Amino acid sequence: MLLNLEAMKKDISIYVHIPFCERKCKYCAFNSFCATEHEKEEYIGLLCREIESRAKDVSQEYAVRTIYFGGGTPSVLSPQQFERVTSTIFECFDVYDNAEFTVEANPSSITPEKLEKWKQLRVNRLSIGIQTLKDKSLAQIGRLHSREMALEKLKLARKLFDNVSCDLIVGLEGQSGKQICGEAKELLSLGVKHISCYLLEVYPNTPLFHMISNGQFSPLSDEDVVATFNKLATYLQDAGMQRYEISNFAFPGYESRHNLNYWSRGEYLGFGISAHSFLHGKRTENAATVADYRDGKVTAETLSPREEDEEKIMLGLRCNLGFRLSDLKAIDLEKNPYFADYLGQGILRRSGGVVTLNPLFYHLSNTIISNLFG
Amino acid sequence: MKDLSHIRNFCIIAHIDHGKSTLADRLIELTGTVSKRDMQDQILDSMELEREKGITIKLAPTRLVYEQDGKEYVLNLIDTPGHVDFTYEVSRSLAACEGALLLVDASQGVEAQTLANTYLALDNNLETVPVINKIDLPSARVDEVKAEIEEVIGLDAHDCPCISAKDGTNVEDVLKAIIEKIPSPKGDDQKPLKGLIFDSHYDNFKGAICLIRVFDGTVKAGDKILMMQTGKQFEVTEVGIFVPNTKQVAQLSAGDVGYIAASIKTIADVKVGDTVTSAACPTEKALEGYKEVQPVVFCGIFTVDGAKYNDLKDALEKLKLNDASLKFSPEASAALGFGFRCGFLGLLHLEIITERLEREFDLEIITTAPSVSYHVFKTNGDMLEISNPSNLPAQVEIDRIEEPIVRTSIFTPPEYVGSIMELCQDKRGVYKDMQYLDKQRVQLTYILPLGEIIYDFFDSLKSRTKGYASFDYEFVGFQRADLVKVDLLLNGDKCDALSLIVHKDKAYTRGRELTERLKKIIPHQLFEVPIQACIGSKIIARETISALRKDVLAKCYGGDITRKRKLLEKQKEGKKRMRKIGSVEIPSEAFMSILRLDDDSNK
Repeated sequence: MLLNLEAMKKDISIYVHIPFCERKCKYCAFNSFCATEHEKEEYIGLLCREIESRAKDVSQEYAVRTIYFGGGTPSVLSPQQFERVTSTIFECFDVYDNAEFTVEANPSSITPEKLEKWKQLRVNRLSIGIQTLKDKSLAQIGRLHSREMALEKLKLARKLFDNVSCDLIVGLEGQSGKQICGEAKELLSLGVKHISCYLLEVYPNTPLFHMISNGQFSPLSDEDVVATFNKLATYLQDAGMQRYEISNFAFPGYESRHNLNYWSRGEYLGFGISAHSFLHGKRTENAATVADYRDGKVTAETLSPREEDEEKIMLGLRCNLGFRLSDLKAIDLEKNPYFADYLGQGILRRSGGVVTLNPLFYHLSNTIISNLFG
Repeated sequence: MKDLSHIRNFCIIAHIDHGKSTLADRLIELTGTVSKRDMQDQILDSMELEREKGITIKLAPTRLVYEQDGKEYVLNLIDTPGHVDFTYEVSRSLAACEGALLLVDASQGVEAQTLANTYLALDNNLETVPVINKIDLPSARVDEVKAEIEEVIGLDAHDCPCISAKDGTNVEDVLKAIIEKIPSPKGDDQKPLKGLIFDSHYDNFKGAICLIRVFDGTVKAGDKILMMQTGKQFEVTEVGIFVPNTKQVAQLSAGDVGYIAASIKTIADVKVGDTVTSAACPTEKALEGYKEVQPVVFCGIFTVDGAKYNDLKDALEKLKLNDASLKFSPEASAALGFGFRCGFLGLLHLEIITERLEREFDLEIITTAPSVSYHVFKTNGDMLEISNPSNLPAQVEIDRIEEPIVRTSIFTPPEYVGSIMELCQDKRGVYKDMQYLDKQRVQLTYILPLGEIIYDFFDSLKSRTKGYASFDYEFVGFQRADLVKVDLLLNGDKCDALSLIVHKDKAYTRGRELTERLKKIIPHQLFEVPIQACIGSKIIARETISALRKDVLAKCYGGDITRKRKLLEKQKEGKKRMRKIGSVEIPSEAFMSILRLDDDSNK
C-alpha cells in the first residue's frame, strides 16, 4: 500500500490548531484562550466539519506525511475529544503508516490516560512546553507547572514515547548560560531527542510587557540573550545534536519532519482558527475568531514570483537546508551588493548552487535576509 | 512724444523682515489693484515656499494706479528679494527703476542689507526715499532711526513717511512720496525700441516670458524683435502688464514695465540683462547689461533611489527654467552613484532648491555637505577649480590652494561685539574696521573665508547675538590658505561623499567632530565598524560603532510564513533611505547633517 500511495499521491502535512489553554502565559500573544467545556465541544465539532469538507477536494491528490497538533495547548483536550478529531483525519485522508504525528503538551495537562490514548491513536512524537526548570521563572511567566512536575511528566511521557521534544525559553530574568546548559543536561539525561530554544519575545499589551514597564520583571539584555543562547547552542551541539534551524536542535534522525516541510515550502493544510494552509501555490489563513471560523471565513494570498523568492530565501536561510540559487525566479542575487559582501565575509556560504547562512549569524538573520530581499 | 509724467517706476529695498512684502500688500490694496476678496498676505510671493518662509525669492512686478490732485498716476512696483543670496536679483530690479523706497524697521534700525541695498541703489543712480515702518511696535524708536538713516546712509529722513504697513497707518504718505520724490521716466516712444530684460520665466503655453522695462520706442504683438546680446530674433505674440496677474495690452511703450511673449522655446534664449530692440530698426547702443551671476556654494545632489537619476535631471532642468542662477553638471560618486554637482548663490538658495526638489517633484534626495570653489594650483602649473572635495588632487601634486574670501559687514548692538569678534577670529577672519553708528549700532567689518561662512557662521552669529546682529558679504577675491582634505573611512573604505576641505589648523577638531557625529547617526551593523578621519594616509580621529546585538524572529509559529515575510519586507522598506558604502549602511541624512555640528550652539 505504501509504495502504491507514493506512486499515486503527493505529500501533504496537516496542522490542527487547538486554541485552548488552562491559563494564558504572561508572554503569550498568540491566538489562544481559556474555554468552557461547551465551547471546546463546539470547536471540536467545527474542526471535524472543516476536515471533512476540505478533504473532499484534497484527499484524492494527496497523502499525509505528518500531522501536528499545536496550540494553544492540545493536551487540554480530553481523550475523547482528541480521538474525535484524530479519527476524522484518518477517515478522510490517506495517512502513511510511518507518518510523523506530533502533539504539543504542557506538563500540567499531561496525564497517564492521555498519554495512553495518544499512543493508541498513532501519535509518535511529543513536544513538551517545559520552558525552564527554574521555579521562580516558571511562576513569573505564569506557567502552571513546577520544576518537579515538569520532570515527572517528562519521565512519564518518555516511558511511552521515544521521540520527545522540549521547549526552552532564553531571556528570562536572571538566566545564565550555566543555568540553561544545566537544564538542557537534565533534559538530555531523561532521553529528550529534540530541543526548541526560543528567545523571549515581548509583545505589546501582554501581561509581561506591563510587568517589564512596572519593573516587576527584567528580561536579559540583547547582549546577554545572544551570549546565553550561544552557550546553550554550543552545549547542545557538543552533546551530539544538530542545529538544523535557528531555534531547533535534534539528534540525527529526530528532526521535526513537520517543520522541515514548512521550511522547504512543502504543502500543508491547517485546520482550526488562525490556521494557515499552503496548497497549489496559494497561502490561506482561517478566521481568527470562532464566530468567523464558524462562518467559514478565509483570507487567501497568491504569491507573486518575487514573494515566492523571498519565501525561499527566508525559509532556506533560517534552517540548514538553505536555498538553491537556481530556484529563484524573480530576484537576481548576483546583482545585490549585499549578497557578494555576505559571501565574502563568510556570513553566507555557497556550495554547489545552494546558499546557507553561517549559524554564527543566526541571531542577526532578519537584517541579512531583508537585505537579500532588496 | 508720449507724456511720461504720470509714470513712476520704483522698487522697495529693505533688510529681510523689515516688512517689504507687507508694504507691497498695502499699496496693492490701497490702490484697489486687487479686490479685497482676492487679497491674501504676501500676494506677490506666489511660491508656496516664499509664503512659508516669509521671504521673497523671485521678482514680481505689479502696476498700481493712483489718483492724486485729479491726475491718474501709474506706479510700477517691482518687488525684490531681501536676502543676501539674492542680491543680484535686487540689482536687476533697480536697473528697471528710477527710484527706490528704502524701508527701515523702526525698532531695528539700519541693518546690513539696508546698507548693502542702498549702495546698490546709489550705484544705479536711483532716487532713494526712506520709509520708516513698524511704528506701531512698542519698541519703535522713530527719531533715533531717522538719525541713523541720516548719519549712516546719508539720506535726508526728516520728513520721510513713518508708517505701519501692518495696520495701514500713513501708507498713503508713501504713495505721495513716490509721486513727489521719484522722477518720472525719461524716454521717447518715437525712437527705436530699447527695452531691458530684467527677469524671465517659463510658461508652458507661451514659452519663455521676458519681463521688460521699456526705455524707448514701443512694442506690440506681431513686431519682430532682436535680442542684442544673443543676436536671436523672435516675433512677438503677446505683450502685457502685471496687475499683479498678467493682463494682455495692445502695446508697451517708453516708460512702461510689462512682459513680452514671443514663442521662445527655451529659456536659454532669453538672457536676463539683455536689451530687446526692433529687428527692423534696431537701436544704436545696447543698455548696460548685468554681470553674469556666479554660484558660490556647491553641493552634490543625488536621489535616494539611484534609479531616479533621470527624474532628478528633469526636475533640475525645470527649476532652471525660472532660475538662471542655478548651475548643475553631472557627477558620479563611488558612494552615492550618479547625481549632479549643483552651484548656488548661497545656503538659502541651496536650501530652497533642495526643498523644491522634494516638494514639487516628489523626489527623495541626498545632499552632500556644501563646499565653496577652490583654486588649486598644481606643481605642473595647471590651475583647477575644485568645488567637490573628493576631486582634490593628491597633496604631492598641489603647489598651493586659494580659497574665496569675502568682505563681511556685521551690524550689531554693542554688547555683542566681543562675542562676534571671537566668532570671526575662530572663523579665520581678519579684522578691518569697527564703527559706532550710534549708541545702539556697531558696524564690524571683517575679511573672512567664504568656506567658513557657509559652515554654520550664520547660525553661530544668531545664537551669539540672540538674533540681533545682521550680516552681509561681498566677494573680494581668492587668497592662499593652508587647506587640507579630510577623508572619512568607514570600515576602512573611503566615502567620497563625506570628504571635506578644511584649514589645516581645524582638521583635527573637525575630524573628531565628524567621527563622533557619524557614530551617532549610523546604526549598528552586523560587524563592528571603525569610523576614521584621515588626512592622506594619516589617521586623525577614530570612533567605533559596536556590532548589532540581536535581530531575529525566533519563533516559527504554525505555518504562518506570510507574517514573517511581511515583517522582513517592512524592515527592507525602512532601509530605503539608507546608502551602502562598502559594507556599511548610512542613512541618507548623514551626508548633510554632518555639517550641522552642534559644537557652537551650546556656548
